[in-house]
Amino acid sequence: MGKLKVYADRMSQPSRAVLIFCRISGIDFEEIKVDISKGQHLSPDFTEVNPLQKVPAIVHGSLKLFESHAILVYLASAFTGIADHWYPTELSRRAKINSVMDWHHSNLRNGAVNYVINTTLAPALGRQLNPKAATEAENVLLSSLKTLEDIWLNGDGGFLCNGIQPSLADLSMVCELMQLEVLDERDRSRILSPYKKVLQWIENTRTATNPHFEEVHNILYRAKKKFEQQRARTAETRTGPSNKPG
Amino acid sequence: MLKVKVYADRMSQPSRAVIIFCKVNGIEFDEIKVEISKRQHLSPEFADINPFKKLPAIVDGRFKLFESHAILIYLASAFPGIPDHWYPADLSRRARVHSVLDWHHLNLRHGAAPFVLHTVLAPVFGLPLNPQAAAAAEKILISSLSKLENIWLKGSGRYLLGGLQPSIADLSLVCEIMQLELVDEKDRERILGPHKKVQQWIESTRNATRPHFDEVHKVLYKVKEIIRAKQSNQGDGVMQSRTKAPLASKM
Repeated sequence: MGKLKVYADRMSQPSRAVLIFCRISGIDFEEIKVDISKGQHLSPDFTEVNPLQKVPAIVHGSLKLFESHAILVYLASAFTGIADHWYPTELSRRAKINSVMDWHHSNLRNGAVNYVINTTLAPALGRQLNPKAATEAENVLLSSLKTLEDIWLNGDGGFLCNGIQPSLADLSMVCELMQLEVLDERDRSRILSPYKKVLQWIENTRTATNPHFEEVHNILYRAKKKFEQQRARTAETRTGPSNKPG
Repeated sequence: MLKVKVYADRMSQPSRAVIIFCKVNGIEFDEIKVEISKRQHLSPEFADINPFKKLPAIVDGRFKLFESHAILIYLASAFPGIPDHWYPADLSRRARVHSVLDWHHLNLRHGAAPFVLHTVLAPVFGLPLNPQAAAAAEKILISSLSKLENIWLKGSGRYLLGGLQPSIADLSLVCEIMQLELVDEKDRERILGPHKKVQQWIESTRNATRPHFDEVHKVLYKVKEIIRAKQSNQGDGVMQSRTKAPLASKM
């Protein structure tokens, strides 16, 4: 069987989850960059890999697979030596992890991705910011954070479903939340700071998967700086000529 | 051995998928009706079963679980003698089943459920109809049906992913599409009509799960009749947004 190929854009939250999982688990793979901001996901070559034109996607032998949760589950099952806590063999534990990954789509992902795009990222993707969509998305995001804080992170485990070690669900969802790094710091703080367990959980997941977590997120931190600079420049322009710094 | 308890409302698409799966595979279970239109899902007793107050949910011994895909996977794995095609042991085939189950949430479900709610079902829950939300949902629904027709149902098999027999993904997604039975016949024809493979796939899935599929969908057909009768009583076929909810008491 040929080497695993992972088609990814590190600005894509689920792409990062797959890359970090491969690295932390010692899975041998080739990372193939697909830059969404350059429209590379729409190329005929990539459409061959994934007709739905989304990242991440993998090719492993004759298997072409997309949808990050399906990919994570496949990798955790198909490769040897993967620690059990990622996707436990015990069925009821596994079912709990499946249930939070299912919940994620319409809740945390739906809220977070639309909020970040409609307040910040849209222009980088050739789209318009949309304040109305942003407000709706923020409601979904806040409701999801509350649910994480009160229900999914209930207990002392430090990870979802009272886990004492991270599962695929923790990795997927923390990568999603990391996208909030590109927001204005005040917004990010306003949104996240009430949720102490969530903040701790992000740290726990980061610690459990470093140095790979930080390395894979480097591009996001660079993007964060760029957006900060852009926002500062916009603010300067708005203060008018009489207030221009000397 | 305690029977599995399945908390369900047969008006809920994912509830139907779980019930049909249990019946087709001879899984012994107790069906506990939780009527959403009577707000029974908001009771403290049910919140104890599922803090998210959604259906379906199961209790197996002391183990409580919600999210229908997680439930279907659990049942397919935990009970003996379930034919392999429902949730294949082969990891590549299994992964593909996972991928369409995942795609479903923000595509077919995200389009179909709000479309039906905002065009016809809302008054049953005491809510106003919302044509704007219906239009937005319709776009997602049609796009999803198109992807099913051209991508997911590609291949010589009658089922998703070129399958020759149904998987839990087929059951879940077909139950979702069945909710369209409730909308006006013209709308249903307009939306589903162009998608021939999708229509064949619905029939194949129904046949493969006879007689349970039709039996479990009976309540849907009953509600369809009630809605039709109400519409013809009002004469112009358009439901008023401030409809009193006599429907609720009939469910």
